[in-house]
Amino acid sequence: MRLVIIGGGIAGVTAAEEVRKLDSDAEITILSEEFHPLYSRVLLPHFIKGKVSRERVFLKKPEWYSEKNIDWQPGVVVKSIDTNNKFVHTSEEREIEYDKLLIVTGCDVRTIGEDGSNVSYWRTLDDTDHLLKLIASNPAKATVFGGGFMACEYVNAFAHHGVSTSVLTRGPWFWSKILSKESGTLINAHLAARGVDVTPNATEPTVMDDNTIFGIGIGIHPELSLMRDAGIEVNEGVKTNEYLETNVPDVYAAGDVAEFMDVTAGRQRVVGNYMNAQMQGRAVAKIICGEKVRFELVSSYATNALGLEIIFIGDTDRNAADSVEVQGSAREGAVSERFFRGGKLVGAVLINKNLERKVITDEIRGS
Amino acid sequence: MKLRVLVDPDLCIGAASCVTIMPETFQMNGENKAFVLDHGKEPGGSSYERWIEVSDAEKETVILAAQSCPTLAVFIFDEAGVQLYPEL
Ligand SMILES: Cc1cc2nc3c(=O)[nH]c(=O)nc-3n(C[C@H](O)[C@H](O)[C@H](O)COP(=O)(O)OP(=O)(O)OC[C@H]3O[C@@H](n4cnc5c(N)ncnc54)[C@H](O)[C@@H]3O)c2cc1C
Ligand code: SF4
Repeated sequence: MRLVIIGGGIAGVTAAEEVRKLDSDAEITILSEEFHPLYSRVLLPHFIKGKVSRERVFLKKPEWYSEKNIDWQPGVVVKSIDTNNKFVHTSEEREIEYDKLLIVTGCDVRTIGEDGSNVSYWRTLDDTDHLLKLIASNPAKATVFGGGFMACEYVNAFAHHGVSTSVLTRGPWFWSKILSKESGTLINAHLAARGVDVTPNATEPTVMDDNTIFGIGIGIHPELSLMRDAGIEVNEGVKTNEYLETNVPDVYAAGDVAEFMDVTAGRQRVVGNYMNAQMQGRAVAKIICGEKVRFELVSSYATNALGLEIIFIGDTDRNAADSVEVQGSAREGAVSERFFRGGKLVGAVLINKNLERKVITDEIRGS
Repeated sequence: MKLRVLVDPDLCIGAASCVTIMPETFQMNGENKAFVLDHGKEPGGSSYERWIEVSDAEKETVILAAQSCPTLAVFIFDEAGVQLYPEL
């Protein structure tokens, strides 16, 4: 079997590693736009804060790929896919044939209209090196634009380095498509008490060269034209069933780019977290090797805003929920929100209520 | 065989991947950090570190759990003190 994997992030490399365990003869190729061997994006905030060294963010060494007989091609971008003749066309004008194709291209950051050397986005190790340089240049202050996971990471990173920070959120509060006003108020109050003011309903900041760092964290989106042009069905991500199979035979998708049938939520959805990407990499490897087990996982994303623990579990899209039950309050310093659909608990957010995590995860899973 | 399993609470971000893979060895505490259990039990009280007796299959699973940690916060040592994961 010739397996071609587009994307060398955690989903892609985990899939390659698992396929190698199951099939010693498979010809495995990873085409990866980034030049680095696999590293953990989740370790990048630890690296910024000096908790780990730069070399500790890597999960694989360059020689690992050849030891596992995996043809890793860093710096190679797939430009088009021909699903009829089963090959991909690369930035180096090569055609690589496949029997099975795995799409694990992740997401790109959303950008603002203006740019400048003091503007930071945060997705890659190279972005992290740039951010460290900006912090080292002794900035007067930092402006964070956005109200999601990366905005939180920026706030934590700047606080760690003693850079005075303010936040502009596009919505009325942090994660306003998920959280109620009560949670939004709790997060803003927590940040304000630690010297970080949050301005709601803000428009794009004007980037000025006044010794300010602009940390832009307004979300991520998958680049889908490559798949759309190849006749692979896309919507918010690459559509798959619960076996991570796309509408085209022998083409699979996993990780941040996949809009998969989440059986625990009862609908197709995109999930952007590490646990999901890694477990899907493992699951899709089995499926590619003929072990047809459906993918089933209640994944979560735990973050923290200057010490306030916030945990997102399962399907927390407010628009897709029939009802949301809010318990606790900003005054009490802890809020939980439960998302129901079809009479079933499908997701939850816990703010400073860590101990409820297990019970809720079990209930969503139905165990 | 015996393994020493350790979670560094300073590196752990509460992603719970380890718990998903091996709940009998890892659970989350009130600080949203993973702690280590011995086959679901906590002799001597809650701890981030313990020696546990494991079968070959359990050893494989505990290493898989450690590999799943996005911040490499789970450390595994053998009886001779050799660090099995993360590889140095
Ligand atoms: C700073 C930061 C902190 C994070 N913290 C957390 C956290 O605390 N908890 C958590 O759960 N998640 C966290 N995440 C999210 C987590 O890292 C992602 O969910 C995960 O990395 C997704 O893995 P993936 O393999 O699907 O995609 P990616 O890791 O994005 O990998 C996709 C790869 O494919 C490449 N690619 C794209 N198109 C092509 C093409 N046409 N040809 C070749 N290559 C291509 C890309 O360059 C990229 O390298 C964090 C992310 C960041 C950036
Ligand atoms: S997987 Fe790692 S970060 Fe997540 S809970 Fe376990 S030890 Fe902590």
